[in-house]
Amino acid sequence: MSFDTDLVGILPQLRRYARALTGDRAWADDLVQDVTERALGRSAAFRVGSNLRAWLFTIMRNLYIDQLRGRRDIAVDDETAPWRQMAAPVGEVDGLVLRDVQRALYCLPVEQREVMLLVCVEDMSYQEASAVLNVPAGTVMSRLSRAREHMRVMLGEEPGRKSASLKIVSGT
Amino acid sequence: MMKPENPDRPESSASADELRALSAFIDDESTDAERAEIAARIARDPESAATVAAYRAQDNALRALFAGTADQEPQVVVVRPRRRYLMAASWLAVGIACGFLMHMMLPMIGRDKPAPMFAQRADIAYAVYAPEQRHAVEVAASQEDHLVTWLSKRLNRSLTIPSLHEYGFELVGGRLLPGEDGPAAQFMYQNASGERLTLYMTSSTGKRREEYAIRMLRDGTRRTFYWTTEQAGYALSGQIGEAKLRAITFDTCAALGGDPKKWQ
Repeated sequence: MSFDTDLVGILPQLRRYARALTGDRAWADDLVQDVTERALGRSAAFRVGSNLRAWLFTIMRNLYIDQLRGRRDIAVDDETAPWRQMAAPVGEVDGLVLRDVQRALYCLPVEQREVMLLVCVEDMSYQEASAVLNVPAGTVMSRLSRAREHMRVMLGEEPGRKSASLKIVSGT
Repeated sequence: MMKPENPDRPESSASADELRALSAFIDDESTDAERAEIAARIARDPESAATVAAYRAQDNALRALFAGTADQEPQVVVVRPRRRYLMAASWLAVGIACGFLMHMMLPMIGRDKPAPMFAQRADIAYAVYAPEQRHAVEVAASQEDHLVTWLSKRLNRSLTIPSLHEYGFELVGGRLLPGEDGPAAQFMYQNASGERLTLYMTSSTGKRREEYAIRMLRDGTRRTFYWTTEQAGYALSGQIGEAKLRAITFDTCAALGGDPKKWQ
């Protein structure tokens, strides 16, 4: 298959990852657009036979980190943070309220959030995630472990505190 | 036993290493030897089992959060950068060619300037309302007196609705629209074969306008001829062919007190 066809096939995953990472539809759509343009412009730099998905995710990841620096003023509890505008998901999975999971995800440092999304949502192996993030697989393993533990703690907060933070999330 | 990485598990005996092993186990990233050992630990240690269950629940919740967020919608076609330059270049060529042709063929249309906002609004209003079957107008032609009184009042000047009868177009009615600086009016005409024209008028703002000769805006098969007087802007839009619409425009302009001869 050609580079272009393969790229188009990965677009839905790229978009899902961009949405999850940024917590913002418009930002995510811009990211996907930027990544695609960049990838097509640099398709010569892509080694045929290597992992196109990892290559594209790396481009996106680097762009995102760059753009995040430009928006350094965004704090997690900032009312204007992009993920504040996300629709609060309804429902529970395995006893976890999705709204709480969403909030916890955006409370994680970006390094933990990205590794969690790559492995748990995008089903990447540690090897593939390490290629995307440009860190050793061992780092992926420990970062992911810290992310999971971090999230478990956030989700296991005292009921009183939990409802208080829920109030902020709904962000009237 | 409490490790600094783990301040939140004060009662827990799990070390960061152990948690890492559990996490890798979930992802099928343990070696075979590790896998057997961890499976055994989970079986005998309820806390490890609970941790694994909690992590798995997180994974499932995250997947539920983002599952299908992108699959269920069409992927927006992305403009290819190199093609984009090509496209830009070819559009530029087309633009230059059009400009040249316009210059040669339509001298009365005047110099190339972006169409004023009211002309663009008129053009869009045509595109929006001309296809309307049931709600093409707010006030029908059967109440023409009321239509004129109402819109004259809202536009703050005395309006006349020109007749396009000799071209086979009858008034359908009119509506009030938001304009660039105040309300605007749109009158709709229709001929026997159902083709429609709209005449758009802006309100009088009191300030003196720059007078425009009759010019044209095109979008697909849609044409909008527009002109201004000192008081107001006018635009006639339709899809009946450029020559015919231009002829009606000159007549309409004259009927509304303008002097199209000045620009011929």
